[in-house]
Amino acid sequence: MQQKCDTQSPLAYWKIGYWQKVTLSIWLIALVILPFSDIEIVNFDPFLELKLMVTGLISPDFFATEYLFQAIIQTINFAIIGVFCGLVLGAPLALIYQNPIVSSCCAFLRAIHEIFWALLFLQVFGLSPLTGILAIAIPFAATFARVFHDIINQSSDSPLESIDNRADIISRFSYGKIAQVMPQLMAYTRYRFECALRSSAVLGFIGMPTLGFYMETAFRQGNYSEGAALLIIFIAIIGTIRYWCPAKLIGFYLIIACITLVDIPAIDSSLLLRFISQDILPPAFANAATLADIQWSSLYHWLSSLLSTQAMPGAITTITLALLALTTTHFVTLSAHAMTSKHLWPTPLTWLGQLTLLVGRSIPEYILAFIFLMLLGPSMLPAVIALAIHNGCVIAYLSVKQSNNFPPQQMHINKLNQFSYHIMPSIYPNMMALLFYRFEIIVRETAVFGILGVMTLGFYIDSNFSEIRYSNALVLITCTALLNVAIDIISRRLLALPQTSQASC
Amino acid sequence: MITIDNLNLHYDKKSGHNAEKNAASTQVIFDLSLTINEGEKVAIIGPSGAGKSTLLYHLYKSLQTNAALCSQRQGLVDNLSIYHNIFMGALARHHWLFNLVNLIRPFKQDLRDITSLCQWLELDQPMTKKVDKLSGGQRQRVTLARALYQQQAIFIGDEPFSALDPLMTSRLLDTVFSLHKSVIMVVHDRAMAMNSFDRIIALDKGRLVFDSKHQSVDQQQITALYQTSAVA
Repeated sequence: MQQKCDTQSPLAYWKIGYWQKVTLSIWLIALVILPFSDIEIVNFDPFLELKLMVTGLISPDFFATEYLFQAIIQTINFAIIGVFCGLVLGAPLALIYQNPIVSSCCAFLRAIHEIFWALLFLQVFGLSPLTGILAIAIPFAATFARVFHDIINQSSDSPLESIDNRADIISRFSYGKIAQVMPQLMAYTRYRFECALRSSAVLGFIGMPTLGFYMETAFRQGNYSEGAALLIIFIAIIGTIRYWCPAKLIGFYLIIACITLVDIPAIDSSLLLRFISQDILPPAFANAATLADIQWSSLYHWLSSLLSTQAMPGAITTITLALLALTTTHFVTLSAHAMTSKHLWPTPLTWLGQLTLLVGRSIPEYILAFIFLMLLGPSMLPAVIALAIHNGCVIAYLSVKQSNNFPPQQMHINKLNQFSYHIMPSIYPNMMALLFYRFEIIVRETAVFGILGVMTLGFYIDSNFSEIRYSNALVLITCTALLNVAIDIISRRLLALPQTSQASC
Repeated sequence: MITIDNLNLHYDKKSGHNAEKNAASTQVIFDLSLTINEGEKVAIIGPSGAGKSTLLYHLYKSLQTNAALCSQRQGLVDNLSIYHNIFMGALARHHWLFNLVNLIRPFKQDLRDITSLCQWLELDQPMTKKVDKLSGGQRQRVTLARALYQQQAIFIGDEPFSALDPLMTSRLLDTVFSLHKSVIMVVHDRAMAMNSFDRIIALDKGRLVFDSKHQSVDQQQITALYQTSAVA
C-alpha cells in the first residue's frame, strides 16, 4: 500500500467507509426530496403562540382539569389491561412464531397502529373501554410474539443439552429456556408497559377518556396552563414507573384496574353484525344479495379509484415524510448524544441533558406533533420535528447509556479529540443500527399523523371514517400495514442488519 | 455395555459435536474401535484437540437412556438458584406439572435431598443463591451435583473437576465412583488417571494410541503422548 501511494496522491487510495456512505446517502435522499415536500410555516405568528405556550409551561395549572384523577386512572388501566391481554395472547404465539403464517399475520397486525385499531373498534364498541384495551392488546400481542421469540431463540442451548432427554418437553423448555431468559422477558415487558402508557394517552385524541383527551381539549382551546400541567403529570407518570409499579405489585394493579375500569356497555350485537356484514364490505358487495349479483366492474372501479386517488398519494407523502424524519432524527440523535455525553461535559451538566432526553422520549410523537401543529400550522414540518425529537431522544438515550460505560482513554488527549476519535467511532455503528430499527416505527407513526391533518395515509383513513366509508378505510388501513411490512423487509435486506428486534418499540 | 467399531466423527463449528460430514466440518475421530464393559471405570486422556470431548459426547448419545452427562459446557441456567439447577437432573422423574410448581415453590423432599447432596460435595452455599453469583469451582460442583442427581447407572464426565484442588478432586471422585456402576471420564490429571481408574484410553489426533486393557501402560508412555503432540 505504502509503495503504491508514492506516485499518486495518497488520498486516491482512501476509500470511504461503509457508515460514511450510509450517512451520506440518507442526507442526499433527504436533500433530493426536500423540494417536493410540503414544509412551510403556515401560522402567521408562531412567536405569539410560542410565547403563550411558554407562559403556560411556567405557570402550569394542575387543578384546571375536572376529571383529572379519572383520566389518569383510565390511562393506566388501558395500559395495564392492554399489556396483560397482549401478553396472554402474544406469549403462546412466540412459541409457534417460526411458522411463516403466524409470523406474517403478526407482522401485519403489528403494522397497524393502535390509533387505527381504535378507530376500527370505535365503530363497533363505541367509546367503551373495550375499544381502548383491544386497540393496545392486538398490536402489542403481535410485538410480544416476535420479540419473545427472538429472545428465546438467542438464548444458549447448552442447558437443554444437559437435561435428561427423557424429561417431557414442557419441563425441559421451562427449566432450560424460559428460566434462562426470564429477566430479559420481564425487562422487555416493562419497557412495553411504558409504550402502552404512551399509546393509551394518545388514544384520548380520538375520544377515549384518557389524558390525551383532556390534553387535546386544553391545547385546542388555548388553555396552555392546563395543557402544560397535563403534560408534566404524564411525563412524571412515565419517569417514575419503576417506583409506583414494581414487579411485585403488578397483580394488585391488574385487579385494581379491572375494578376501576368504567363500565363496559353491553355490546350491540346487531351493530357488530351490521359492521361486519355490511359496513366494511365494498359497496359492490354490500348491495348484492347473492354472489351472482356482484358487479365486478364496479368493484374494480371502486378499488382502482381508491388506490389511485387516496392510497398512492398518501403512501408517497408517508414515505417522503418518513425519509425526512429519518434524516432529522439522525441530526437530533447526534446533537442530543453530544449534549449528554459525560466524555464531553462535566457530570452536573450531563444531568440537564439526561432530563432533556427523558422529556423528549416520554412525550409521544403524536402529542409533540400536535403541539408543533398549534405553533407552526398544518404542514409536514411539525410532524418531522416531532418524529425527530422523540426518536432522536430515544436513540441518544440508548447510545449515551452505552458510551458512558466506556472507560476514558489512557492516552492524554483533550475531551473533544477523545470524543471524536474514541467514543463516536465506537458507538456509531450501533447508533445507526438503532436509527434504522426506529425507521419502522417512524413509518408507522407517520401514517398516523394524518389524523392531525398531514396528508399521509392516516389522513385519508380518518376522512373515510368520518364520512362513514368503512370499506374505504379498511382498504387504506390494509395498504398502510402492507407498506410498513414492505419497508421493514426492504430496509433489513438493504442494510443486512442483524435480526434482533429488542431495540424496536 | 457399548462397542464401537471403526468410528469416524466430524466436528462442525456451527452444529457442534458429531456433525454430518460436510465441507465446513473437520474430522476429529478416525477409525476408532472400542468396547467398554459394565462396571468399568474408564479414564480418557490425551492432549487438547485429540477428540476426547467429541468421543465422549458420542458415547453419551449412545448410552443416553441410562447415563448422566457432566459436560464441560456446564449448561447451568444463570438465572436459577443452586437448588433449581441441581433439580434439573430430576426433571425426567416427575410430571411436568410437578416440575412447574417446583419452579415457583420447591418441594420439601427434593430440597432435603439436594441440600444433603450439596453438603456431600462441600458446597456450603444457600440453596436459593443464583448460580451466576458462584465461583468457577462452585459452579463446577453444581454441574456435578446435577449429573449425580440424575441417579443413573453410568456417569459420563468431561473434566468435571478441572477447577477444583487435588484433595477435593480425589474426595469427589470417590463419591462419583460410589454412586455409579460405570464411569467414563475425560481426565487431564495423568496421575489421577493412573491411580484411580481401572482402565486408561489414550487418544491423539483422533486415533487410539493405547488402551490399558490390552497392554500394560507406564508413566513414560503417557508422558510421551503429551510430548509428541507438543512438538507437533
